[in-house]
Amino acid sequence: MKIHLFRDWCQDVLELGVRELKLIFKDGGVLLIFFVAGLVYPLLYNVVYLNGILEDTPIAVVDKADCSVSRRYIREMDATREVQVAYKCTDMQEARSLMEERKVNGIVYFPSDFGDKLAHRKTATLSLYCDMSSFLYYKNSLIAANRVMLSEMNTIQKERYAADGYSEQDAMSLVQAIPYEENNPYNASFSYSIFLLAAILLVIIQQTMFYGMTLLAGTLREQKRSFANLPDYMYTNGVMRTVVGRGWAYWLIYMGIGMYIAYIVPAIFGMPLRGDFFDVLMLLLLFVTDCIYFGMTWSALINKRETVFVLFLFLSPICLFLTGTSWPTSAFPPFWKLFSYIFPTTFGCQAYVNMSSAGGDLSAAETQMVGLAIQTVFYFITACLAVYLENRHIKKTAA
Amino acid sequence: MGSWKNIGAVIKRELRLHGRRPVYILGSLGVLSFCAVFFLTFFGSGLPHDVPIGVVDNDNSSVSRMFIRNIDATQLGKTIRFDTFQEARLAMQRGEITSICVIPKGLYSDVGSFRRPTFTYYLNGMYFLGGSLAYKDILLMINMANGAAQRKILRLKGVNENEIMGRIRPLEIDTHQIGNAYTSYNYYISNMMLPGILEMTIVILLIYSLGGELKYGSSRKRLRMAGGSIVNVLLGKTAVYTMLFGTLGISLILVLYGWAHFPLAGSIWNMIPAVLLLVLASEGVGIFIISCLPVPRLALSIGALYSVLAISFAGFTLPVEAMHPAIRGLAQAFPLRHYFLIYSQEVVLGTGFAGWWQEALHLLAFVFLPLPLLIRLKRAFIYQNYPKD
Repeated sequence: MKIHLFRDWCQDVLELGVRELKLIFKDGGVLLIFFVAGLVYPLLYNVVYLNGILEDTPIAVVDKADCSVSRRYIREMDATREVQVAYKCTDMQEARSLMEERKVNGIVYFPSDFGDKLAHRKTATLSLYCDMSSFLYYKNSLIAANRVMLSEMNTIQKERYAADGYSEQDAMSLVQAIPYEENNPYNASFSYSIFLLAAILLVIIQQTMFYGMTLLAGTLREQKRSFANLPDYMYTNGVMRTVVGRGWAYWLIYMGIGMYIAYIVPAIFGMPLRGDFFDVLMLLLLFVTDCIYFGMTWSALINKRETVFVLFLFLSPICLFLTGTSWPTSAFPPFWKLFSYIFPTTFGCQAYVNMSSAGGDLSAAETQMVGLAIQTVFYFITACLAVYLENRHIKKTAA
Repeated sequence: MGSWKNIGAVIKRELRLHGRRPVYILGSLGVLSFCAVFFLTFFGSGLPHDVPIGVVDNDNSSVSRMFIRNIDATQLGKTIRFDTFQEARLAMQRGEITSICVIPKGLYSDVGSFRRPTFTYYLNGMYFLGGSLAYKDILLMINMANGAAQRKILRLKGVNENEIMGRIRPLEIDTHQIGNAYTSYNYYISNMMLPGILEMTIVILLIYSLGGELKYGSSRKRLRMAGGSIVNVLLGKTAVYTMLFGTLGISLILVLYGWAHFPLAGSIWNMIPAVLLLVLASEGVGIFIISCLPVPRLALSIGALYSVLAISFAGFTLPVEAMHPAIRGLAQAFPLRHYFLIYSQEVVLGTGFAGWWQEALHLLAFVFLPLPLLIRLKRAFIYQNYPKD
């Protein structure tokens, strides 16, 4: 008897999944979101952020000092990857109007006492003006000016010690007693695209799945049916069967799309894929399952087909901020930290970055995997609850 | 006078609809209020502090401990000690720390005997802001440590204190951050994200409203109500939405530059027409999309794609100049890009209208974008010959 029960259960699950698949493939809108948006979006974002590195930000230079150090400083800044000395101006007014015409994004100003101060062995100050409309302009001007300053300081000091009669080695051990070595192993040039795209990829999985599922749930509602309607032959509680059965239909589709997004898209665009294939697969298994029950739970609240776009589109950029890859998680206000636990991407994106970009194994994503697992269980229960409540409501209204 | 009456009828009907279906108010006022609260509170103080920096101290001397204490003393950084590099590396891969400083064994004795020990640091560039800030902090501290070592020697040689600073620090940069003196992430992000969300809600809601007429088959009735003129239908509808979003847009400007005291080099009176132009231009785009594709679900999907991409193409994160040349021009097709240029002229540089009138014209052009397609929309309204869902 028991074996029969299990077999029937499996059969029901199978049938429900097939029914869901038929619904999905009959609905053009859902297909559009799953297969066109799901497949094209990641490519599109990669194309938009293809270069990812801002090079040669134009700056203007006002050299009132006109000494050898300032001239060398200007040449060296021009030689950096970050900036390009586009204009040499006679005064600040001219440089300022260039900035207002958006021809330059930064100004470097050498005051007239710059050279004299250096000759007197005092600290000479130069001024840097940065356009803050985009932080990347600021970052470029700042890094270029500071790097050149450090190397110039070394040169000036070495020259002075040489004049005082020190050997080069003695001078170096005074000027730079502790030389340093910089490593940026996962994103060597602080590329904007490598950091952003790694986080965006899993957001795309979650959001397209969520929009597709809600579209379908909304359609059924509009047709006076419900996602929770059980086939007539199931008289008893079919809650688990509905949730598991509908789930595997999405699971089948999204494991495919997910693998495409997590493995193939980064490979096409030459993004780092340092993780172990099976480790990332484990993450995908958990993440996709989590997204399915997340979608099922929240789509229960939608009663019209298109409403999801009106009400929830803004969540995509917010989810991206909540992943903590730009604004660090340690600086989240407590309320938003709690709020971020609503979304699978909060854990999923970090886990993906840690494994796929930073090359860690599963232990590098341990916290996130546990988070995803807890979330999956939670959303599975709420999805069941949604079906149960919906069914009770349907039966009540029918009776 | 007939057309005024017709337009009035459309307006009344639209207002009734808004009263009956909360989705319109939730989708505009609700979404925008939520996002305003989110962005204005999420970034808190504007710049993260106590960014976790991992330290592997192989020396355990007074010099290395002082270095660690100095990093702790900065507002930016907070050190976390690790016994081995292995542990620290795993923590960095986990994203728990933004960087690792490796202090070499024998640092103290090597510095003392001029053997120049090498200090190594590792950054995690995948956590972008945390990694960059840690980089800034570590670089500052290691240069200060170098300066301190040199100062010690100079003091022993009897150089007087006034001269020492000029010797160990011959150059100094005085940085002026124009438009955002505190390098506040809040100013940077919220200034553009909130107008971006505004554009998003306008495009989506306009498509939703016009698409709804097609979907529920009420389009012929609406056209009759407007005296058979599609222009009257659009005028009536946009009158309501311009009122709604115009008010929201102005409130946004008042909240940002008035209530939240965001720095504003120009005048708030210039930002109000700017945001109104953004509202009108976004409405133009919404009508354009539904006129091209009078299929509600397709138009909404396209509208969603468009308005999410607009945030990338505005160029306040990755500047448009850094994008691939083939797609750079596309940025012009987004009202948000033009609004960004106005914003950077008015708010950041304070040039006034003279600096951004061309962008204002660009935005105005979006208003007339749907004109050539009005006949197509009218036909769709009459024949309802497109798929409905």
